[in-house]
Amino acid sequence: MGLWEAFLNWLRSLFFKQEMELSLIGLQNAGKTSLVNVIATGGYSEDMIPTVGFNMRKVTKGNVTIKLWDLGGQPRFRSMWERYCRAVSSIVYVVDAADYDNLSVSRRELHDLLSKPSLNGIPLLVLGNKIDKKEALSKQDLTEEMDLKSITDREVCCFMISCKNSTNIDTVIDWLVKHSKSKN
Amino acid sequence: MAQPLVKKDDDRDDEAEYSPFLGIEKGAVLQEARVFNDPQLDSRRCSQVITKLLYLLNQGETFTKVEATEVFFSVTKLFQSRDIGLRRMVYLIIKELSPSADEVIIVTSSLMKDMNSKTDMYRANAIRVLCRITDGTLLTQIERYLKQAIVDKNPVVASAALVSGIHLLQTNPEIVKRWSNEVQEAVQSRAALVQFHALALLHQIRQNDRLAVSKLVTSLTRGTARSPLAQCLLIRYTSQVIRESAGNAQMGDRPFYDYLEGCLRHKAEMVIFEAARAITELHGVTTRELTPAITVLQLFLSSSKPVLRFAAVRTLNKVAMTHPMAVTNCNIDMESLISDQNRSIATLAITTLLKTGNESSVDRLMKQITNFMSDIADEFKIVVVEAIRSLCLKFPLKYRALMNFLSNILREEGGFEYKKAIVDSIVILIRDIPDAKESGLLHLCEFIEDCEFTYLSTQILHFLGIEGPKTSDPSKYIRYIYNRVHLENATVRASAVSTLAKFGALVDSLKPRVFILLRRCLFDSDDEVRDRATLYLNTLGGDGSVVETDSDVKDFLFGSLDVPLVNLETCLKNYEASEEPFDINSVPKEIKSQPLAEKKAQSKKPTGLGAPPSAPVSTVDAYEKLLSSIPEFSNFGKLFKSSAPVELTEPETEYAVNVVKHIFDSHVVFQYNCTNTIPEQLLENVIVAVDASEAEEFSEVASKPLASLPYDTPGQTFLAFERPEGVPAVGKFSNTLRFIVKEVDPTTGEAEEDGVEDEYQLEDLEVVPADYILKVPVFNFRNAWESMGPDFERIDEYGLGQRESLTEAVNTVINLLGLQPCEGTEVLASNSRSHTCLLSGVYIGNVKVLVRLSFGIDSSREVAMKLAVRSEDEAVSDAIHEIVGSG
Repeated sequence: MGLWEAFLNWLRSLFFKQEMELSLIGLQNAGKTSLVNVIATGGYSEDMIPTVGFNMRKVTKGNVTIKLWDLGGQPRFRSMWERYCRAVSSIVYVVDAADYDNLSVSRRELHDLLSKPSLNGIPLLVLGNKIDKKEALSKQDLTEEMDLKSITDREVCCFMISCKNSTNIDTVIDWLVKHSKSKN
Repeated sequence: MAQPLVKKDDDRDDEAEYSPFLGIEKGAVLQEARVFNDPQLDSRRCSQVITKLLYLLNQGETFTKVEATEVFFSVTKLFQSRDIGLRRMVYLIIKELSPSADEVIIVTSSLMKDMNSKTDMYRANAIRVLCRITDGTLLTQIERYLKQAIVDKNPVVASAALVSGIHLLQTNPEIVKRWSNEVQEAVQSRAALVQFHALALLHQIRQNDRLAVSKLVTSLTRGTARSPLAQCLLIRYTSQVIRESAGNAQMGDRPFYDYLEGCLRHKAEMVIFEAARAITELHGVTTRELTPAITVLQLFLSSSKPVLRFAAVRTLNKVAMTHPMAVTNCNIDMESLISDQNRSIATLAITTLLKTGNESSVDRLMKQITNFMSDIADEFKIVVVEAIRSLCLKFPLKYRALMNFLSNILREEGGFEYKKAIVDSIVILIRDIPDAKESGLLHLCEFIEDCEFTYLSTQILHFLGIEGPKTSDPSKYIRYIYNRVHLENATVRASAVSTLAKFGALVDSLKPRVFILLRRCLFDSDDEVRDRATLYLNTLGGDGSVVETDSDVKDFLFGSLDVPLVNLETCLKNYEASEEPFDINSVPKEIKSQPLAEKKAQSKKPTGLGAPPSAPVSTVDAYEKLLSSIPEFSNFGKLFKSSAPVELTEPETEYAVNVVKHIFDSHVVFQYNCTNTIPEQLLENVIVAVDASEAEEFSEVASKPLASLPYDTPGQTFLAFERPEGVPAVGKFSNTLRFIVKEVDPTTGEAEEDGVEDEYQLEDLEVVPADYILKVPVFNFRNAWESMGPDFERIDEYGLGQRESLTEAVNTVINLLGLQPCEGTEVLASNSRSHTCLLSGVYIGNVKVLVRLSFGIDSSREVAMKLAVRSEDEAVSDAIHEIVGSG
């Protein structure tokens, strides 16, 4: 009997331990829903409609199942972000690296969110999207603009990606998978 | 939701033993709701928790804003589960929680995804939830999907979209109206439910377009409605069309009657019933039309299903009010229903029988009712009592049995409303059936010996005071009345004192004994009781003082207050204590009512333009104050009557003018209320020029122009005429508004120096006989009529020619005479053939007038009227006849 039990535990660990939950946030038109599509299917579409509310997607990569909460970025949804970030494995914050006008808003929203006590210690992944555009910021500039150095109470990482050209998407997935284990 | 729920077991006793809802408590359930946030969802567990939350909400439990928000957001996380059952619960709880608009929007995207999912159950329910939470802008985004859903081949989805359409029509009619084509297609659906919902929506979309509804009914009655529910709706819409077209259709050949009659042979009971009910409710239904409907209802009476028996007997009960003869065929079936287990059915059966029964069956019925009264609730008993009252009025010879019945039930236990119904019935019977008086009064006396309701005791004592002294042996009531003085509370004691005084005033032989009793009351502990006793001893001469004349005493004790209580109250409030005593003659007699023009003005106001309040003063007092402040009119004497404002212009014209006619003893003053509705104009020196050539007895004596009339500020100009004193002169006046008009710069608001003279034609004004009559109600017409006496009675008969209906004829005569209808007699039963209307008022010169009108209408709608007038002056009685004769 004991052996059977152990076998079952092993099976469970195969299927369930490797599950993780992420929330995907950022200002509207940063490319969150596109990122979900790229991760899930690899497809990319130019014309997307704004997300009204949230999209829930489950994606399986290797032996890890990722639950993605893709939240709307319009101002009326921002107050609700925090509710969907509680108890996730990591927070993914998407920034449009080519939209200078909204960088300061984006920075303020990010720091507001991280100041919530319920989100203490949750790892943060900041993604600078749309590097296919030539005016896009460099990683260094983005780190500077978003004032990421000031965040010391958690693990912070920053990647520059392009959903359109699928640049660096694999790196992102690797990072995420790695953090699924650390959470459990 | 959309899928049919599993039918609950009929056997409820078993269920109660392990109710899954036993001991559910809000705090605990909210704790449990944390499972929604678990990383590993347990769908079964989550469903159970939602069930508990729904149970709490349906039990009337309320969640605070914070609690509801917390639960709502946790619930949204459940969208990750693919469990179909759980998703249904999620839809339900979102609708029930109905979170605020700015929060609920978070589920929009998920619902839109579900609306286009492959699972029909998701689609149907997502549509319902989405339509519940949506607003106008979102609706235009999803409109395309909704239109598709209406014609979806899955009936559950189609119905969801149609029902949502019905709800959305309230908030976004213009969008839903665009779906007509799809809805029309859905009406042809093979699925019963879809057809039902589609028909309901289609009708709602078109309900304001009479022609479209008529077309809809015409095309569908040819027989495409398969669903019984849709058929029922169609029957309702058909009766609506019949009702609306009744005005122009010929009698006898009723459109759609064949359709309704055909429905009586439908195989679904609900359709049969709906059709039968529709037929019985047809306006002016004939016996021939009624017969087939009554026949099917009769079959229902002996059905094994309680709901059918109830429906049938309820409908027959209504029919019995208007067509008692048509229902008599069902009497035997209904008699067996008196013992029906369902008390509602039994009560309806009994009251129907009471309405339709003939004289010979009364005794038998009464016997059955007696057995049955003890086990029904008070409100049913009241229904029975009322039925018995009308039965007794119908068969006065049977009063003994019915009166005995009433007195028996009066002795039994019962609440106030029930007892009041019985007492009212006995009082009415005493009044209308002279033979019943003595026994009825004794029953009431017995009742007050043991009556716990102060209100009823005082009412009965008052009634005893009026009726008791007129009986053959008044002395036998004294004991009952004087017992009250010993045994009851102060209010009842006070009324007992008044009643005693009335006996003393009317019955000379009792006077000395009444005085003794009244003197004893002088030592009562209550002020009011002592005061009354003192007052009555004084007026009746019991304390040896000078006795006032007999008629004065009676007038004081029995005369009714001839001023409205409201007016008296306001006057008393305004009265300041001084040397001068309060004079009851200073109380206005006219009943205050808001003039029509003022209401109209209010409704117009929001449009910004229109006529602003055209009558700044509305009540007689205010008019009187206004007129006496104008020196020209100060010597006209006391104002007799002010008419309601008469509009002299069409609404929405440049200048709005209405007029109020003020009648004095020998003068008439016209008060023109004018409003200038053109912002670019200022009117000055405004006066109404009147041509009185068609009003020979009137001569103009004074006028008061209006110096200036700026935009949107009402002003008044007056005109006074002299007429022979006391004569109710009539005439027609043609009016022209004359003024100097000045242009106004709309930006600065300043008027130009020079103006132009101009005039504006107004409509004609008539002074009619009704202007000389005040509406003054009397509260007991019969008493007033009898005390007026037949000395100056004038009776005559008139033919009123062909009329649309009896109601219209009655209202015309009431308006012509300008008298106050009494005791609600201006209201007619919908298809009565005859009617009696009682009117009262005061004619100029302060002459009281009472009028009794009897109307009858025959099959060709010729109306005949008998007019009986009693007044204090012969000439006035004749004048009333003249008004009718010339009108």
